[in-house]
Amino acid sequence: MSRINRKLRKMAADLLDLPQDVVFDLPRLTMIGDRQLYIENHRGVLHFSSDKLRLALSKGELEITGQELVIRTIWTEEVFVEGHIRHIEVRDMK
Amino acid sequence: MNASWIQWVRGIVTIRVRGEGMEKLVNRALGAGIQLWSIRHTSGGELLCEVSVGDFFRLRPILKETGCRLHVNGREGLPFWLVKVQKRLFFAGGLALFFIGMYLLSSLVWTIEVKGNELLSEEQILQAAKQEGLYPLQWSFRLEGSEVLSKKLAQKLPGAAWIGVEKRGTKITIQVVESKNAKPKPLLNPRHLVASADAVITHILAESGRPVVKRNMKVRKGDVLISGIYGDEAHTKSVVAKGTVRGLVWHEYNIVSPLQRQLKVYTGDTETRWYAVVGGRALKVSGFGSPKFAAYETVRHMEKVTWRTNELPFGRIKETLLEVRMDNQPVSVEEARATGLLQARADLLAKAGALAEVRSENILHEKTDNGKVYMKVLFEVEQSIVAERPLVYMQGE
Repeated sequence: MSRINRKLRKMAADLLDLPQDVVFDLPRLTMIGDRQLYIENHRGVLHFSSDKLRLALSKGELEITGQELVIRTIWTEEVFVEGHIRHIEVRDMK
Repeated sequence: MNASWIQWVRGIVTIRVRGEGMEKLVNRALGAGIQLWSIRHTSGGELLCEVSVGDFFRLRPILKETGCRLHVNGREGLPFWLVKVQKRLFFAGGLALFFIGMYLLSSLVWTIEVKGNELLSEEQILQAAKQEGLYPLQWSFRLEGSEVLSKKLAQKLPGAAWIGVEKRGTKITIQVVESKNAKPKPLLNPRHLVASADAVITHILAESGRPVVKRNMKVRKGDVLISGIYGDEAHTKSVVAKGTVRGLVWHEYNIVSPLQRQLKVYTGDTETRWYAVVGGRALKVSGFGSPKFAAYETVRHMEKVTWRTNELPFGRIKETLLEVRMDNQPVSVEEARATGLLQARADLLAKAGALAEVRSENILHEKTDNGKVYMKVLFEVEQSIVAERPLVYMQGE
């Protein structure tokens, strides 16, 4: 995405009041308490153990730490994680 | 998402993956369109996940590429179940047969109950139902709808005002509401009403027919009171004569009334006997030997053992013998006469009907002889004097 393109998109998003994840290809996280997490728009699993899950994003990565993490279901763009989720960190890699 | 029933039908394999690059394996699998679910880490650093049978075989090349090793932990689902079934063919066949039999037997009509019929016989209704294809051991899917059936049955049975057919499981209830018709009047032949005894008319009322007599007329037995023939000699019409005719009738009675009365008297002497009862049999326990009384009455009193409200088949019978003596009591002449008249009057009213009234009584002759009172009494009774006589047509008249 070129800089002009990105600016245009941001303008369009602001003007039309569109959700950012649709426009910028960002992940959307839905969390239910500390036990369920639904992540859309990921780019694959980088690391998975029972206390840590690292997911690749279109830009950067997402790290979920917790205990007894289980990937309930995984599709090419969505993950459904269960367990005791303690911490979610988004690392932007530019 | 837990394994859904579709996945169960496809077959679920639980696998354990060992080795480096397990994340890579998951990513590659996703890229190849292989679905993994319930991915979790074991304490031994291995990956436990579930995959469908078809995907399991597609996973093999990816395993080699990523250098992981796989161990099958468990199999579940229809394909594995079918393999088991193949080994126990007869068991599976029995299972299937059981369900098929259950289904077939429950889709038969087993009983038909008919309710609410009084004039229509049950057989008649069942016969009509059979013609409509409703009978025991009929397939219930071959039956028509209950509304259609009840309509058709109602057409077949004219005596029923409404018929409802209700199916509940294997039982069919036919509810019948019969139409209520007025009772047909008994058919009567044309007739006269004639006098049943010699009498003096006190009251005459003709409902149909032509009254022939009037009040205070004297009639003989067999005289026509209300004629059943209308019209003159040329034009006649016969009807059923109806009406009430009352008249004074004389009855002569010879009454004999004794001057003695026999009375049964208890002497007060009693004897008690006990019986033990088991089931329907009684065993005498005390009071053996023939009774010492010449004449006696027995009174039995049974007591049964009860527990709460239930009667048990044990008990006892107390039999009391009461000595009796016959006493002769003298009766005065007046009393004997009154008793005789009373009996005669009761007898008279019984003969002449409930509406009869004794107008007067007259003792014609009385004598006392041989310890009895002999009387000749004339009663004047007002009573119905109607008798029927059918009209017979004379041929060739």
